[in-house]
Amino acid sequence: MNFKIEILTKKCFENSRGKNMLSKIYSMHINGIKKVEYSPLYVIGGNISFDEARIIAADLLSDKITETYAIAESDQHCKISSPILSMIEVWYKKNVTDTVSESIIKAVKDLGISKKFKIKTGHKYYLYGRISKAVLSRITTKLLANTLIQEYKIIK
Amino acid sequence: MKKVKVLILRTAGTNCDYETQMAFELCGAFAERVHIDILIEKKNKIFKYDILAFPGGFSYGDDIASGKILSNEIKNKLGDIVKKFAMSGRPIIGICNGFQVFVKMGLLPDPNVFEQVSSLYYNDSGRFECRWVYVKIEKKTRSIWVKNLPEIISLPVAHGEGKFIPKNKNLLKVLSKNNQIVLKYSSKDGNIPKYPLDPNGSSEQIAAISNPEGNILGLMPHPERYIFALQHPNREGFDSKYGWGKIIFQNAVDFVK
Repeated sequence: MNFKIEILTKKCFENSRGKNMLSKIYSMHINGIKKVEYSPLYVIGGNISFDEARIIAADLLSDKITETYAIAESDQHCKISSPILSMIEVWYKKNVTDTVSESIIKAVKDLGISKKFKIKTGHKYYLYGRISKAVLSRITTKLLANTLIQEYKIIK
Repeated sequence: MKKVKVLILRTAGTNCDYETQMAFELCGAFAERVHIDILIEKKNKIFKYDILAFPGGFSYGDDIASGKILSNEIKNKLGDIVKKFAMSGRPIIGICNGFQVFVKMGLLPDPNVFEQVSSLYYNDSGRFECRWVYVKIEKKTRSIWVKNLPEIISLPVAHGEGKFIPKNKNLLKVLSKNNQIVLKYSSKDGNIPKYPLDPNGSSEQIAAISNPEGNILGLMPHPERYIFALQHPNREGFDSKYGWGKIIFQNAVDFVK
């Protein structure tokens, strides 16, 4: 089974990477977005159990002080009903080397989990604001994803 | 006279190990750069040294988060001996990435606890910050590393994740009560700085902390990049030759002697 792990900044801390992305959006003279939140994403596949996925998320992928995590079965998405929220996921295209995943495989072994598994890394952006599909597409292709090596999914 | 021996731990992505080695050797020590795999293979090798240094850099590419993979590796493979070394009272320094490793494995603020109770998180700006800043040495600090320094010195910083965040407000009180806050970001005249002199938005402008005993120092600025006055943008320093960062290394070497 594959598990999708999302790392979330705790509400009491500033999502500074999202804030930085917002300033980049403003620098493109796009004003409809009010807030951006960023979350790292990971999909773990192979023989990893849910409990092991939880240990990996808690002890390795998230920061105990500033972050929390959510684990779901891969490709599950929460449904968005808000008209002012867009979610974009960015992943490497197949055959593009994911160097972070290689580091994670080493680190999981250091944690004492010796099973074989695969992992891929991605990014998730939450954009709050009223913008057209064309503007959303522009933000995604110009800022959020390098379309040469990454693919994206707009969830709205 | 005894030659003080320093172990500088390096791994993939470490990039300030040579400067750290030079800083210690300038202070009369014998400093050796040792790869983590060697230490994992021969754990007790660590006790041949008097001082342990975790240099700056981007260990394992800062993948996941800065210092996270190295802290996980040390905690799980070398945690017992690093803790024992720390408890022996020998000086330990973690510079920038080394400081990030310390807080994430729980060596700081208290190796007795050895659990993560604070973090160094993304700068408020959300980006890498690289410049000279001022730091104020806390008067009551018990750190053996910052003796004989003026009240305010300038040091270079270069990090994306340097915002010190304690688990809760009580921890800040404990750090203050135990005199574990060593350096705070400051303006040139000692006041609370604003960005960009405050490079990251740390709680209480904290730039460095120690353990309660004062032998372990974790700091975000890079003293090894200011051992000569020539390295300072205004050529400032002491004895018309050295930078204030040298004193930090000298203090540890003299402490062992």
